[in-house]
Amino acid sequence: MKKSDILIIGNGISGLFAACVAADKGKKVQILSYGAGTLTIGGGIIDVLGYTDEGTPVADPMQAIAAMDAKHPYAKVGADTAKKALDTFLKITEEEGFPYIGSANENIWLPTAIGNFKPSCLVPRTMNGKALIAAKNILVIGFDTMKDFYADMATKNIAKRLPDKNVEQLIVELKFEYERDLRDISAMDVARWLETEAGYRSFVDQVKSHVKPDTAIVLPPVLGLDPNYKILDTLEKELDCALVEVSSLPPAVTGTRLTKMMTAYAKKRGVQIIEKARVVGSEIIDGKCQAVITEGFDRQRKFYADQFILATGGVYGGGLVAKIGAMTEPVFNIDIDVPKVQTEWSHKDLFGDKKQIFAQFGVNVNSELTPLAADGKEVASNVKVVGRSLAGYDFCVEKSGNGVALITAYKAAAAFCGEA
Amino acid sequence: MLKTTVVVIGGGATGVGILRDLSMRGVDALLVERDDLGYWTSSRFHGLLHSGGRYAVKDKEAAKECIEENTILRKIGKQCVEATESIFVRAPEDSEEFEAEWVKSCKECGIYAVPMSMDEAFKLEPNLSRKLLSAYRCPGAAVDGFRLLWQTVASANKYGGKAKTYTEVIGIETVNGEVAGVHVRDRWTGEEYKIACDYVISATGSFAGNVAHLAGIDVNVKPSKGTLIAFNHRICNHVVHRLHPSSDADIFVPHGSITILGTSSIDSAPDDTSSETSEVLDMMNIGKVTFENLYDYRILRVFAGTRPLYSADPNAKGRSASRGFVALDHAHDGIKHFMSVCGGKFTTYRLMAEKVCDIVCEQLGVNTACRTAEENLVDGPSDDLMNRAKAVFPSYGAELAASRLGNEKLERVIKRIESRPETKELVCECENVTLAEIEEIASEPSSHTVSDLRRRTRLGMGTCQGTFCAYRSVGAVDKDDMPWAKDTVFLFKEFLETRWKGIRPVLWGNMLRDIELTRAIYDAALNLSGVDEIK
Repeated sequence: MKKSDILIIGNGISGLFAACVAADKGKKVQILSYGAGTLTIGGGIIDVLGYTDEGTPVADPMQAIAAMDAKHPYAKVGADTAKKALDTFLKITEEEGFPYIGSANENIWLPTAIGNFKPSCLVPRTMNGKALIAAKNILVIGFDTMKDFYADMATKNIAKRLPDKNVEQLIVELKFEYERDLRDISAMDVARWLETEAGYRSFVDQVKSHVKPDTAIVLPPVLGLDPNYKILDTLEKELDCALVEVSSLPPAVTGTRLTKMMTAYAKKRGVQIIEKARVVGSEIIDGKCQAVITEGFDRQRKFYADQFILATGGVYGGGLVAKIGAMTEPVFNIDIDVPKVQTEWSHKDLFGDKKQIFAQFGVNVNSELTPLAADGKEVASNVKVVGRSLAGYDFCVEKSGNGVALITAYKAAAAFCGEA
Repeated sequence: MLKTTVVVIGGGATGVGILRDLSMRGVDALLVERDDLGYWTSSRFHGLLHSGGRYAVKDKEAAKECIEENTILRKIGKQCVEATESIFVRAPEDSEEFEAEWVKSCKECGIYAVPMSMDEAFKLEPNLSRKLLSAYRCPGAAVDGFRLLWQTVASANKYGGKAKTYTEVIGIETVNGEVAGVHVRDRWTGEEYKIACDYVISATGSFAGNVAHLAGIDVNVKPSKGTLIAFNHRICNHVVHRLHPSSDADIFVPHGSITILGTSSIDSAPDDTSSETSEVLDMMNIGKVTFENLYDYRILRVFAGTRPLYSADPNAKGRSASRGFVALDHAHDGIKHFMSVCGGKFTTYRLMAEKVCDIVCEQLGVNTACRTAEENLVDGPSDDLMNRAKAVFPSYGAELAASRLGNEKLERVIKRIESRPETKELVCECENVTLAEIEEIASEPSSHTVSDLRRRTRLGMGTCQGTFCAYRSVGAVDKDDMPWAKDTVFLFKEFLETRWKGIRPVLWGNMLRDIELTRAIYDAALNLSGVDEIK
């Protein structure tokens, strides 16, 4: 029987980051993972806090976190720890040769695939929205047969939002050799194409003459499949302009880069990632979790540890299960407090500046991120809950998704390593 | 000034049926609809083409009309009907005496009801509850309401009949007690204008009372709301009915890859299309008698429509009110050449139109006989055209597109793909809708929103409920040369919010997972509802 110091359930961004933090502090860490997770389809950027509860844009996320409502996960962590968490993440990105830009104290406006803008905090250099704001000319680049990016729409809306810029568009021909009837061409395919010598040359040849002095290029996320800036750097040098990838929909090249980077770092630090481990329950004795139970096609297995971090995600990731008039967290079997009538789970409009009710459903925790049962008692004293499983926030309206994941993961891992 | 002989108000099944009938008889007619065609009751039902079996015991006349019209529509509306047949099943709680009476009544009405062993029934429909006791095969079928309406209008177009959507009637003008015209408002431009005419037929269903009020007349329609559940599975291959006196939630109708369960019956306002979770659960509990694993199937969405039940007795309620239709000649109320048509069933829409038009034509002195049962709504594609289609459409999309579009539009879509092969890209993978089809339908003058495209193409009606095709369809139409598609955020919200309305009452299991993904894309990644404050 192998026993780890810290067992993490889930290898999304919160699980991986908690593992990195704990392993850095000398802990023996195992991650139990099941399925591809949601990280690879995410945007690869760290939203920390884009909007206040009133829907106004946040200038300094750390300042806003310090004044957060008590129910919000950020309020349980505090601004100081939040800053440490984000700095730690930035350090990891530097060490991995894929440094993110931005700081915990400001937001960056990124162009989206619609052509409007969203606030985010830490982003890869391929998504430096500031370069766009600084440039005089904007060139929106689409690819002729690529699915899920409409240069027309992006160009039109960027021009509307940045009226003092000269916004133009260019469609680059892919001229793929294989018969495109076989399947659709996604951003992944174009990124792969740009990594070939022929693809790279073709791109430069088609674009170069359209780049005026003082231009920033906006394009779908295609600047490399791996977490490095090789393609960005060579292109910026050769075209003599900035390139900015939009925040886009899955499949997400940017999310894949972040996943690869975090996984590489964790593995270097000795974190063991066990795949196809579907956790179906736990064993709790005298208020302490002894083991979690996985179920494979033929048997159940127990994984023992001193401490456990639940990082299984929300409803989408499978960390929470929504039923008729009920919601549960299946690993520790925690009932989530939800209205009995489903129509009371939501506002009438799906989109609006109000936080959705259902988005805020999740596991209640104390200030140490220890899960609490419906009666307010600790579920198990050596368990901490991080990321999207937590109650009290709406990552969509707030623009806080990966921020909550990183900041709560840091707090949990650091606390398990004896830091206050 | 716009002039026509007859103005038909209401673009539901009854209205378009009347428009086609009049046009084929050579009567100049114009239909005006406040929303989109089929926006209300004519799409908010099971999509069941009745065999008549459901009415055989209680209302033989209605049952006979159903089987006759069923036979006609299978022929003239081939592209809109999926001839599945239906199976009537009796559960232990259903009366055996009723079964005997039903068998006898079906025979009297000319509706075949072929008994089968339960083994045979379970072989045909493996998901049926093993507790069921008896089963019969009948000639029911599934019908696509949107498609039937659009193809009926396409048929009317050939004879000069026109339909104007998003055109709201705001006044009915009379001169010396006789109709002289209607005043309308274009709901997109706000422009108001008059259409002069000799006759007005209000085929406005649940709204018949409101429209009659414009002329100061009372029409006593009692709208009764029915909720329907669309499952993301083809639970059954046949229409499945409970063999008992008509009741709530006792009909399952398969459509393509989904199944619709209906319905309930609650007195309501004419425009009440909301559904409560409690209505859904009540229906699930009844439906479970037929398919015992019903709770294991993923729900796609729920929707509701109002039946325009007409009653001379203002105190009549719900399901017991007459299902028959009435044509009220308002000459009796002091206005000549104004008629309200209320009640009726989708299955008999053609017959209702025939009867109404017989009366109207007589008053107008037109002697031409009705021919609507003889001619197909649209021509099916020729073999040549189908071969061309198969050469350019991805996967099995050619057949689906052909039945959606009919001959002429199919040819136009094929031409688009032939000249620009990249437009064969699938915008909606769930329903196999290509970019070329979206572009073709979007360019029609009747298209104003992405939801309009949905009703004509089935875009966004499948498993993802718009999660992926919203971006693609808005991107496809959000161009400077498309007059109606200027505001990107409006286009997204209009489409996604209407999809959301149907998911909200059933926000559990994978429905909530899907919505989480939708929000992650459109709110978190694309910031659809956030404020832009670029610094």
